[in-house]
Amino acid sequence: MSIMEYNGGSVIAMVGKDCVAIASDLRLGVQSLSISSNFQKIFPVTDRIYVGLPGLASDVTTLHEQFRYRVNMYTIKEEREIEPQTFAQMVSSTLYERRFGPYFIEPVIAGMQRTPSGSYEPFIAATDLIGCLNFAKDFVVAGTASSELFGAAEGLWEPDLEAEDLFETISQTLLNAVDRDTFSGWGAVVHVMTKDKVITRTLKGRMD
Amino acid sequence: MASADGGAYSYSLTVFSPSGKLVQIEHALAAVSQGTTSLGIKASNGIVIATEKKSSSILIDDSVIEKVAVVCPNIGIVYSGMGPDFRILVTRARKSAQSYWKIHGEYPPTKVLTQEIATIMQQATQSGGVRPYGVSLLVAGWDVTRGPSLYQVDPSGSFWAWKASAIGRNMINAKTFLEKRYNDDISLEDAIHTALLTLKEGFEGQMTEKTIEIGVITVPTQTELEAGKVEGTGRYKPTFRKLTEEEVRDYLAL
Amino acid sequence: MNSLVSRFSTTGPIAELRKAKEVLGDDDEFSDAVWGSEAGFGSLANGVPKFSIPQVPDPSAFLRLHTDDHSDPSCRIKIKHGTTTLAFRFQGGVIVAVDSRASAGSYVASGTVKKVIEINPYLLGTMAGGAADCQYWETYLGIQCRLHELRNRERISVAAASKYLSNLVYSYKGMGLSMGTMICGWDKTGPAVFYVDSDGTRLKGDLFSVGSGSTFAYGVLDQGYRWDLTDEEAQELGRRSIYAAGHRDAYSGNTINLYHVKEDGWKFIGNYDVSKMHYEGPNGVGYGYDIRTEGRSSANPPATQ
Repeated sequence: MSIMEYNGGSVIAMVGKDCVAIASDLRLGVQSLSISSNFQKIFPVTDRIYVGLPGLASDVTTLHEQFRYRVNMYTIKEEREIEPQTFAQMVSSTLYERRFGPYFIEPVIAGMQRTPSGSYEPFIAATDLIGCLNFAKDFVVAGTASSELFGAAEGLWEPDLEAEDLFETISQTLLNAVDRDTFSGWGAVVHVMTKDKVITRTLKGRMD
Repeated sequence: MASADGGAYSYSLTVFSPSGKLVQIEHALAAVSQGTTSLGIKASNGIVIATEKKSSSILIDDSVIEKVAVVCPNIGIVYSGMGPDFRILVTRARKSAQSYWKIHGEYPPTKVLTQEIATIMQQATQSGGVRPYGVSLLVAGWDVTRGPSLYQVDPSGSFWAWKASAIGRNMINAKTFLEKRYNDDISLEDAIHTALLTLKEGFEGQMTEKTIEIGVITVPTQTELEAGKVEGTGRYKPTFRKLTEEEVRDYLAL
Repeated sequence: MNSLVSRFSTTGPIAELRKAKEVLGDDDEFSDAVWGSEAGFGSLANGVPKFSIPQVPDPSAFLRLHTDDHSDPSCRIKIKHGTTTLAFRFQGGVIVAVDSRASAGSYVASGTVKKVIEINPYLLGTMAGGAADCQYWETYLGIQCRLHELRNRERISVAAASKYLSNLVYSYKGMGLSMGTMICGWDKTGPAVFYVDSDGTRLKGDLFSVGSGSTFAYGVLDQGYRWDLTDEEAQELGRRSIYAAGHRDAYSGNTINLYHVKEDGWKFIGNYDVSKMHYEGPNGVGYGYDIRTEGRSSANPPATQ
């Protein structure tokens, strides 16, 4: 029995043209038994950052609280909002602190990063459970359906998708991938972020 | 009460005197005001920090004395007061900057690093078996959120942001001088000259590239920022640097 | 060069194999069983089929080492597990309902598996456990049932057919067969259901469910089961039970296959998408979605009368 598969769940993030998207399934299970179809795995960090925490459900809560604590301390101490890149570094160092007794979570980070010229550019990153950062320019995946998500995303993703097209792409990628994974599914949630707003949609998915 | 040795309240630095003072801290400030003069000026496009470097003997090889220190690529500090105490604080500040980098993947903003140093200095006013640091510091740095900023930290651990300030032996005169010469539109070049002029007031002996140390913050241009990391090094171009002896000589010559 | 050396050497694995073949008198690269006309059942002429056994001291330990087992999930050959199947007897015959998911570990290998094996027009077998074992032995059972018919000029009873199967799998006990099946049919005694598994268990009963999702199916089945169910009610109960398992059990789902066995043999009722059952049900009323979400949030206010 793998702890990473104990509760199930998957997250994916994708880059588009001046936008970024992050999506997850909604299942919470205990091995083969599905318990809940509205288990939140993606959390807002700031107005411009989301973090997805697929993995062991108890660690989803613990890490979410941990990140909230650290981000709040950062915001107060530095009197500024944390940037996606900096948050990713923080996630990485937080996880590596537990190198020899890790949290069973593989975080995915998506956000709009402020550039020196004052505009925003899409940012995505993912880490393994001990904080090895992966900055990708196209998409990142994590969770029990990660192989299926890689396959679907390799086939569907293309560069410079507009927000609405990115929504379709990430939604289809996720829905089709989780249908091939026994531990993910039971509905999905998608967030599409542009420089000035976030659109959140809940999707109906297969319920088996 | 106000005896020369500080009276009964000078035994422990953590005990307040009836008048509400911690006399050891006041003594530390006295040590600072005996130190050589240092000053900092914030300009529109940068910051200059400068100090005089005086050797007690001509036999000392002053090329290895360092009074302006680089903490991290975007922050430098200068001090007045006790050199050995400064050395300890520089080491602590550098370590703090590196551990910040380890967690956040970037160097600390000036204010955060200043707070860290101030915390270290404050702890020395409240811990058993130690004495306060006998230095005041001028911290000059640049960060993307607040741009260039100049802070002063005192032995008590209090700190302020300045447009221009001076510490050490001639600080009263130097500050008066700076108040007269300062304006908000001053350029970095002018600020360096003003700094040298200020130091010249009450400078004992010859002002040469050997007896002056200067550090500058140069605000990066928009193009430099967008260019990102310097090719080959994998690092951003440092915003703080110390002027070489040649550069100091050139400024003195003008 | 190496292959040449090994081919003619008197030591090494290839030589060992050659010797073993000589001892067994098996000169062919392939056994008769593979030739088309006999469709894998070629050795039937000799009675019970023969299988080539790994030439190792303990063949079943060897097999266990390389195939799926609860003690070793990281094995190389994964036999597909995870299923929900059910069958129950009632006044109107036998209802047989199964899901269609085949999973290998956490991967959904197929969502369109036929888990009801049509042994002959009067007999159905369900499939749980090893897919290949069920398919092969239930097909083999079909052959034996036909031979019985030819020899005795009457159809085999469900009891006899199931007993034939249980005796057969018992003779392979401990060698790694994995089957959990229900043999369903209609004979002189009326509707009949027998549970047979690879341990050798054989049980007569009114109602069975087999597989990882069986607990969920039993939950629905037990509360809705009566002997005097109408045909429609019975079919709905079978469908609803498999839906429940498909919904809750990660290893079951995709579609439902529903069969009804009556006096004149079995009839395929239909194939139903589990997710469609959840949202819409068989006739517009979803089994799961509306009743769970209605009135639960502002996005989904309670329906007004």
